[in-house]
Amino acid sequence: MPPLELLLQQAWNGVMLGVMYALVAVGFTLFFGVLDVIHFSHGDIFMLGAFAGLTVLVGLKAAGLGGPLLALPLTFAASILVTGLVGVAAERVCVKPLARASPLMTLLATLSLGLVIRESVLIFYPRGADPKPFPQLLPQGGFEVGGVAIRYESLVILGIGLAAMVAVDRVINRTKMGAAIRAVAQEPEAAQMMGVNLDRTVDATFFLGSGLAAVAGILSGLYYSEIHFIMGITGGVIGFSAAAIGGLGNVYGAIVGGLLFGVLQTTAAALIPRGSEFRDVVAFAVVMLFLVFKPSGILGEKSVERV
Amino acid sequence: MSRDLALVWLAEAAVFTLVVAGILAERPWALGATGAAIVAAGALVRFVPRLGTTLAGAFARRRPAALGAGVVLALALPLALRSSPYWTFVATLALLYVTIGQGLNLQIGTAGVINLAGAAFAGLGGYSVGLLTVAAGWPSWLAVLVGPWVAVAVGTILFVPILKTRGHYLALVTIAFVFIFNILMNNLEFTGGPQGIKNIPTLRLLGHAFTTKPVLAGVELPSHANFYYAALVMAGLTTWVLRRLHDSWLGLALNTLRDDEIAARCCGVSITRGKLLAFSIGNFFIGLGGAFYAVMVGFVSPPDFDFGYSLVMLSVIIIGGVDSIPGVVLGACLLVPLPERFRFLHEYRLLLYGVVIVVMLLYRPQGLWPAQVRRYR
Amino acid sequence: MSVSPSLVEVAGLTVRFGGLVALDGVDVVVAEGETVGVIGPNGSGKTTFFNALTGLLVPAAGEIVFLGRRLAGLEAHAIARLGIARTFQASRLCLALSVFDNILIGMHAGRRTGVVDFVVRRGRFLGEMRTAIERVSHLLALFNGDLPRRGFERVGQLPQIDRRRVEICRALAAEPKLLLLDEPSAGMNPEETAELMRDLQIVREEMPGLSVVIIEHDMFVIEGVSQRVVAFNYGRKIAEGSFAEIAGHEEVREAYLGKEAARA
Repeated sequence: MPPLELLLQQAWNGVMLGVMYALVAVGFTLFFGVLDVIHFSHGDIFMLGAFAGLTVLVGLKAAGLGGPLLALPLTFAASILVTGLVGVAAERVCVKPLARASPLMTLLATLSLGLVIRESVLIFYPRGADPKPFPQLLPQGGFEVGGVAIRYESLVILGIGLAAMVAVDRVINRTKMGAAIRAVAQEPEAAQMMGVNLDRTVDATFFLGSGLAAVAGILSGLYYSEIHFIMGITGGVIGFSAAAIGGLGNVYGAIVGGLLFGVLQTTAAALIPRGSEFRDVVAFAVVMLFLVFKPSGILGEKSVERV
Repeated sequence: MSRDLALVWLAEAAVFTLVVAGILAERPWALGATGAAIVAAGALVRFVPRLGTTLAGAFARRRPAALGAGVVLALALPLALRSSPYWTFVATLALLYVTIGQGLNLQIGTAGVINLAGAAFAGLGGYSVGLLTVAAGWPSWLAVLVGPWVAVAVGTILFVPILKTRGHYLALVTIAFVFIFNILMNNLEFTGGPQGIKNIPTLRLLGHAFTTKPVLAGVELPSHANFYYAALVMAGLTTWVLRRLHDSWLGLALNTLRDDEIAARCCGVSITRGKLLAFSIGNFFIGLGGAFYAVMVGFVSPPDFDFGYSLVMLSVIIIGGVDSIPGVVLGACLLVPLPERFRFLHEYRLLLYGVVIVVMLLYRPQGLWPAQVRRYR
Repeated sequence: MSVSPSLVEVAGLTVRFGGLVALDGVDVVVAEGETVGVIGPNGSGKTTFFNALTGLLVPAAGEIVFLGRRLAGLEAHAIARLGIARTFQASRLCLALSVFDNILIGMHAGRRTGVVDFVVRRGRFLGEMRTAIERVSHLLALFNGDLPRRGFERVGQLPQIDRRRVEICRALAAEPKLLLLDEPSAGMNPEETAELMRDLQIVREEMPGLSVVIIEHDMFVIEGVSQRVVAFNYGRKIAEGSFAEIAGHEEVREAYLGKEAARA
């Protein structure tokens, strides 16, 4: 049994990871809430956000504007915008047209769309097959609390992640569009009769979810100091599982699910021998167990079939 | 009705000629001529009134003769392609995808059990062959027969998820499974790690080693032709079995279970038994394809069986036609050779598969050769 | 009252959905050969009653005895094989499959050939299937002489009234002892409803030993086919008797019309 400090350290790392998973999970859960679809390419949108961010950063550095105070906000803003728009395009092309067809169709379509996004990055980004280093923009160094090493970098990442979550919460609960999203999620027909523009609301939902994924992607790049075109598959699987664990359609559930997943993954990796190699195996095994034994999630899913 | 017979045989001969010409044409004039001929043939069928329906009618009335001619042409293909061992290999690969595709189609198309771990089950077949032959010294032909059963057995690990989850959850579970499989193959010692298993001995049937060049009608063929003919038998048997299963009480029960589980239950269909049967039978044929692949290329490694291949298998089914036995054959015969022929597309292969699937799902979800109504023949 | 042996006895049946009590201690007996009508306002538990009978729901309390067998805990497909068949409120047909296929599935439980026969001894299987299709055609022809001709068309291409008939044929194909019909006239105009009543009459004539329980909102249909009527409200059985008795029953009128209007 590893010493307490090691476990706490892993728990802290887990929270970091969990924040990123949570941001992706919120997207999944919003899409399910609003269109009753599982958007399988959302993981690759997350990857796209990271690459978009990288591109902007590289561009800024080349233009001599590489200082963190300027570059970071610009990168986030640009990536959120681009990724959000791609997310809306994906929804318009692939998700909404098939929303009435059998769920199998949407599943296959979004899965394939993810493949398209992934392959596009592989093919069109210079030397796309290699992992790409992500510039270090955040302050280095850190301090220790009770044997747990806390890096300044981690605090900033955590801060940005939490800020994003608070922002989402504000949008969903304090804005008109957020109210529209909630209404459509509960009762699309009634919402429309109340004057809610369904198309625009769905667009906004996808923009929001994809933007969040972009934030998660950049944070992931900052955390690991590198990004890879296949990061979307794992990110998507885990993000979706986290959303499912928390109960699809439930935004707070997605956040809880994401955090839970992050902590579970890091602690399991610490406890199991050769854990770091098999870290993903652990994640996927946990996914499988959870989906089998508690498919409606911890906080409850929203759909029921009538006979 | 010898007019029907003539039409059928002429049509098949024409397709065969165009396919072979399309594959082998090298010089610009040959390429141009073939391309023009293909376009002309397509335009003829599309725009000459009643030509399409006349042909379809002739084929429907003369099914045994059409099938017979098809078999003869399939047997003759290596002869026509004897100048290119590479294309014989590609043709064999297409037949492997037919085998795998029929298995996967039973699961996804007929029973509606979504399985994105096709690559893992093929890998289980392939790795079993590798281990049985290299580590345990078994003869290749025996390993190929046993490998698929390993796939079936391991598949039962997913027994509970198959029954308890559906749609997107099941998809996720199978994605997780294929990733776990891949990571394990990469990291466990006895599976050879990232190098995989090498030097898998070739097939040896009745004293004839598959590395020696066979002779057909006095003509020497590339050694790959051995595998081609074996794969032809395998794919043919698979398609035959699966068509009979599809046009039976089982196929009917699986379709009903897919479309409306509650109605199926109230008609006395055991969902458990149905899904498990479809999943297991499907995994057998998927594993068979993987097992054959192992002896054909002589080695197996983790990248050969990753998630991307699951998506390729899926595209075969979607493009050909979900729940359509002939559709799977068509899908494999299109999807495997085309990227090889248009080499410049090779890098964009997966990207194009993805685009084609999305386009198909939006505009022709039933596939190129849609599933027909059961006639119980 | 007839002294036919009872086919199915339901006693104290209770079904809960979380905190909601959908069925509350329901007692119903159906005799062989009887046709019982079930009425009640929306949400009174009628379909839930069917769902419990067919094993789609697990009751919280109570017993269902069918032909002397207790149905508690049995799976839906096992109950179907014992001889209970049903139709659904929102028609549950497989639209992409043929008319024949949609009815043949009803005979699934009675099949004799297996996987081996499908592949290698296909002659045996095809023989069985030929007989089955003849029976299906016969059933279809009872209701609409045109339908057997269209047997290999996709059922989605049929008009609504014929689709209802296909669903009824599917239930009958299993040669059940108990047939449950859930609002068969839903969405039908008066002409179609009249045809439906003729269809039900045909069923009674073809299969005299068959017991039928029919949920309906259309009182015309209930009056025309039932020998006995049971009324539900808020998950309880509130009345039972002939149609005339039920029509005049105060609590039944209250359930449909509300307290004030009922007394008027």
